[in-house]
Amino acid sequence: MFENLLSRPNFTAFIILFIFGLTIMVTHHNLIKKLIGMYLVQTSVFFFLVNTGAKSGSTVPILLSAGGSIEPSIYANPLPHALVLTAIVVAVSTLGVSLGLTIAIYRRYGSLEEEEIIERLE
Amino acid sequence: MTGHSVGFILLLPFFAAIAMPMLGSWRRSWCQPMALSSVGLMGLSALFASHGAVTQGPVQYSVGGWPPPVGIVLVFDGLTSLLAVALSFVSLACLFFGGPVLPKDLDGKVVLYYTLVLLLISALAGVTLAGDLFNLFVFFEVAALCAYALVGLAGGRGLMAAFRYLLLGTIGASFYLLGVGYFYAATGTLNMADFLARLPDVLHSKAVLTGLIFIFLGLAIKAAMVPFHGWLPDAYSHAPEAVVPLLASLVTKVSLYAMTRIMFWVLGAATLPFELPILFLLGLGGASAAVVGAFLALTQQDLRRMFAYGGISHVGLIVIGITVGNQTGFAGGIFYMVNDAVMQATLFFIAAAIWHRCKARDLSQLGNLWAQMPWTSAALIVTALSMVGIPPTGGFFGKWYMVLGALEATNYVAVAAILSSTLLTLAYFVRIIEGMFGDKHSEPPVTQLTPEAPTEMRVSMGILAASILVLGLFSDQIVGLILRSAAPPGLR
Repeated sequence: MFENLLSRPNFTAFIILFIFGLTIMVTHHNLIKKLIGMYLVQTSVFFFLVNTGAKSGSTVPILLSAGGSIEPSIYANPLPHALVLTAIVVAVSTLGVSLGLTIAIYRRYGSLEEEEIIERLE
Repeated sequence: MTGHSVGFILLLPFFAAIAMPMLGSWRRSWCQPMALSSVGLMGLSALFASHGAVTQGPVQYSVGGWPPPVGIVLVFDGLTSLLAVALSFVSLACLFFGGPVLPKDLDGKVVLYYTLVLLLISALAGVTLAGDLFNLFVFFEVAALCAYALVGLAGGRGLMAAFRYLLLGTIGASFYLLGVGYFYAATGTLNMADFLARLPDVLHSKAVLTGLIFIFLGLAIKAAMVPFHGWLPDAYSHAPEAVVPLLASLVTKVSLYAMTRIMFWVLGAATLPFELPILFLLGLGGASAAVVGAFLALTQQDLRRMFAYGGISHVGLIVIGITVGNQTGFAGGIFYMVNDAVMQATLFFIAAAIWHRCKARDLSQLGNLWAQMPWTSAALIVTALSMVGIPPTGGFFGKWYMVLGALEATNYVAVAAILSSTLLTLAYFVRIIEGMFGDKHSEPPVTQLTPEAPTEMRVSMGILAASILVLGLFSDQIVGLILRSAAPPGLR
């Protein structure tokens, strides 16, 4: 079990980042810190996705020469990169909307601490 | 031609949404006609494409001419056609309902409201059309972003509700994306049909199992199935009145659609024996959701919160129907899904009309409502009959087929859950209707001289309440249609 994790450092890093992000989201009461946790969760998923396309000894997926036969084994898989690019756009828009909401909440309640906001809700 | 009409379903509201800010800054009064006409045209192209899909079989539309599995495809089959037609019909009614009255509550944000609503409708249509797992995620996120913004649009308590909805929704989306990553790592494809073809080789791979768990976890959060329903009541009871019917009727249903699509068309749960009994486990989740949601609805005092919890229990009922594991139950579940979209919209129309007319949303303020708002009360009674499941309405036939399916599968837990949730639903509607007729409760304060809600509200409530009855009267034909053209391959 433990050797398994050590032999896959990228996967271990993904697990740590993911759980770290979730923990921040659940345990912290500051809205901005919750957003930081959320962004960490999203980023860890992107990291995982990019890793599925990695191969040892491969290069960037750009054709080295036009014409001739294409050898797929020397290129990294480009599809996960394309997926992650799209997913990053989605994550950035989510972050934009969430920061907009945070600003609106701060203007109305004068605080970013969840407990204080709940007290002032009534 | 049928192929292009599939593309139009998605693109018409999308382009209308993009044009809306420009149009709105020029002539604000043109916003609603523009939104209505684009959604109406979308409904027409959905009907046209459905005709093609039902008579000639599923339509595949390769975006940009790239053939699948490399290119992006939109798939329009029987299940999609049902959902797309229901989606355009309900959103048309919601836009008409909101009309000239409710966007005024949003002081000056009318243009923004129409832009976001059209984007939401377009993205939801995209979810029903998507032929691959990743585009499903992208459309889901576009729809979810619009939903967060719409919940927070009016400010006030809606802001905090929107923030919580956003946090949970994003977690759900991350889980889903993670599951998609696992699926891709296991099979090297994201196209749904291609995935199903490659699945037998990797059936016992742990990556598929993990991906499956993450995907259903993510979708369960999006569909507000019971342990993950926390975001829904707050979001729906504090969002602006014009927004809630649309969100309540469509967003959770479309998540359920995605669940169905992945369960049967991507994982082939009907034919392939899994080591993990996903249908059974999801059915248990649905059964607990149906009972717990209805029980929580019974304990509410606020009208909109009560309807929101009722929606949660109905999500559970639909999941029971779909996961029973035979065609009868499946058809019942899908039929009930369409019915529930209409019922939820009508319920929140009624809550909004009562709020608009007499600023009442507490159950104890509904005394003698029958005399003050006869139209609204009649619509409420028809919807209540359908929510409980009394014969001439659509709700009864949906539940009938689900119970038949569960009996056929000798799944008595499902039968018990459907029946007890029905009794609890009856109990909470009795609480509302008792207040409406009796004089036990205080009467709502009269703030306006007009005796009823505005005409637009009455017309759209009336149309939706009538369509509940129409769905009931034509239930045989619709269920037959589902069995003929929308039943998943391999399900007996």
